Amino acid sequence: MKSLPPSASKGPVKFRMPTAENLVPIRLDIEIDGQRFRDAFTWNLDDPDSEIANFARRTVKDLKLPPSFMTQIAQSLQTQLAEFRSFEGQEMQTKEKIVPLKLDLRVNNTVIRDQFLWDVSNFESDPEEFARTLCADLDIIDPEVGPAIAVAIREQLYEIATQSVSSARESRLAKKGRRGVESISNNKVANGALDLMKVFGSKGTVLRKRKEWYLYEPIVDLLSNEEVEALDAREERTAR
Amino acid sequence: MAPPPHEEDDAEVSCSKLSDREFYTIPASSSWFQWDEIHETERRSIPEFFDGSSVSKNPRVYKEYRDFIISKYREEPSRRLTFTEVRKSLIGDVGALHRVFLFLDGWGLINFGVPAVEARDDGCTAVTVSSVVEEGVPAGLRIVPASAVAGGTQGSTAGGESVFRLPPLTSYTDAFGDWVPGKGPVCGVCGNHCQHGQYEKTMQDGFFKCQKCSLDNGNGEGKSADGSKTNDHMNGNGDIGTRSWTDAETLLLLEAVMKHGDDWNLIAQHVRTKNKIDCIARLVQLPFGEHILGTINGKCEIRNSSSQAANIRTIHHGTIENSQEIMSTEDKPDIQNDEEKVVEESCAAPPLKKRRKQSIIDATDSLMQKVAILSTAAGPDVAAAAADAAISALRKENPDVMNFFAADQHEATGKFASYETQNELGSELVNEGQDVQKNKAADTSEPVPEKFAATAFRVRAAVATALGAIAAHAKLLADQEEREIEHLMASIIDMQLKKIQHKMKHFEELESIMEKEYANIQQQKESILEEWITVLQESVRAGIPRWRDHAIPWSLLNSVL
Repeated sequence: MKSLPPSASKGPVKFRMPTAENLVPIRLDIEIDGQRFRDAFTWNLDDPDSEIANFARRTVKDLKLPPSFMTQIAQSLQTQLAEFRSFEGQEMQTKEKIVPLKLDLRVNNTVIRDQFLWDVSNFESDPEEFARTLCADLDIIDPEVGPAIAVAIREQLYEIATQSVSSARESRLAKKGRRGVESISNNKVANGALDLMKVFGSKGTVLRKRKEWYLYEPIVDLLSNEEVEALDAREERTAR
Repeated sequence: MAPPPHEEDDAEVSCSKLSDREFYTIPASSSWFQWDEIHETERRSIPEFFDGSSVSKNPRVYKEYRDFIISKYREEPSRRLTFTEVRKSLIGDVGALHRVFLFLDGWGLINFGVPAVEARDDGCTAVTVSSVVEEGVPAGLRIVPASAVAGGTQGSTAGGESVFRLPPLTSYTDAFGDWVPGKGPVCGVCGNHCQHGQYEKTMQDGFFKCQKCSLDNGNGEGKSADGSKTNDHMNGNGDIGTRSWTDAETLLLLEAVMKHGDDWNLIAQHVRTKNKIDCIARLVQLPFGEHILGTINGKCEIRNSSSQAANIRTIHHGTIENSQEIMSTEDKPDIQNDEEKVVEESCAAPPLKKRRKQSIIDATDSLMQKVAILSTAAGPDVAAAAADAAISALRKENPDVMNFFAADQHEATGKFASYETQNELGSELVNEGQDVQKNKAADTSEPVPEKFAATAFRVRAAVATALGAIAAHAKLLADQEEREIEHLMASIIDMQLKKIQHKMKHFEELESIMEKEYANIQQQKESILEEWITVLQESVRAGIPRWRDHAIPWSLLNSVL
């Protein structure tokens, strides 16, 4: 293996999800005639477009939704995929970057809040595996939680990826070499990536201080049914 | 860094069986692991930390991760350390952390021998596979029922996690744990020990069902009653435990066998508490039982022989049986009676029993040597019993000697003690004994030399026994070693032969391959040449001028032709 100088970027890469499988996170939130359909899942870009119509039809049939949902679902799906594809031609940043990702979601009765670090330059990362491990370690029974976690992770990665595209574009425009790259890494990301040299360099330590452990620990709550209903009602009200 | 002292602190706090160290088990295949170093295995398995491809991953970082995870696990070795527990304490990409964690888990450096917990199945209790040897379910594996969840499923991929579930492997204890020899078989349905006579054997599965269960099932299923047959012949009476034979019963059995020979009904009558099947079974189980079975018909004459050799040999057989009886009973006459009986019974057996191991008694050895060999083979208790038996037998044989022994017991023991102290000088004592014997022969009236004779006799016996034992044992060991050496040599030579044969075969194969290849090449050359010729012909026909530069490959021509 050739050894690269630590701060070298891997070279620009065409835009894609920085995960092992190029799956796009999709979120649907459609309301027709007082009926609401919300869903979040991942879509494989390699599927032909005909799949979109099939998926919409099948969803409507399985959930017994009114047929007007079908076109809406397909449309929403198309839009999001098109948006993703619009990024595809461009190049993105591949400098090594470890960012904190957050989870704050509720799936049926389970509420999860968590924070952890993710290497967005690792194009072989696997959100699904992380979700599986998390659910197994926390003994989560509900099988819907795992995929929801994976989607949440992907969404955040997607956002970071798009940001890196724009930052890559900026750096090209600025025509500065290394310095430009480094200056950009300090902004645009909400919490900032880790200062790699500080932590992983020769003087740092990768052991987190004990008082900070609670910050990066997952919190799982099981809600009772009443609480779930209350939260649902509140969300609908805010949505309207 | 911190880990080694950290480890010792925990040892003192938690459980300190051994002075100040705690031992943790890891599998033998992971013995390369050391706190202070990073081993080649680690470099190979997780190369990302060692190839300098990223800032955040270098060997120091890896070592910190590894040491922390292992220390964390060892704080509480009995519980399963989860990835989620450690990743909150470590800074770094969770993907890389997870890989380190999986690596350590896979090599047993953490979570070794910890019972695994399979994921729940929506409400069922967690199944724990409790076994020290098995490793747990990998952390990433989750068993999810394949359910059509409303509104939560994906379009095409991602999230499909239905792994089919294998039943937990039954361990030996599960299958046989409840089965105690001496009780009846365990019913396969309800798990109770069946009172014998109350179980039935099902045809299909071959396991036993107690009658209750088969009746219950018979009503429900309607087939077990047809397919089962009452396993009656195992126990006819059905009200007495079949397995526990007390010594008294065994003795009765043997007596009966000697008396009645082949008539099992009478024998069963004699042994009042067992039926005839049990008697036969028990007799077969006894060490010399089969011989008795075989010989009670024909060789009843041997029963009354009184040869010393036979006595002692048979006493050897018999002592295994009756040593317990000897130990338990204290009456000498009883012992004698028992031994007599056993002696008589065992006389019927052929002299050398070859059932389990080769006889170590050489027929040409002297009597004392045989005794010595037997005494080394058996334990000290048995040897003492055998000595007693031998003495009593001798006594019977020679009533005079018995008088000597009985009359002057007190004095004799006194003299015997003094003689005992000089036991190493065996030959001298023997000589003395012989002298004493001569004196005895010459002087018949004196009781004292007779006493000496008696004690000398004993002394001689004791000394000769000791020497003979040593000699015999040494010879045995030497023989054994020699045999082993021969055996090993033979196996070595065997191995070498096999190796050479393999090599030869290998070369032969290579040769044949080579030949085939050669033939192939020849063919290809020929075909190429033909093609070349046809191409030339065509070109001539077509009138294309031939370039003189591209000459016919003469080398090709020459080699083919």
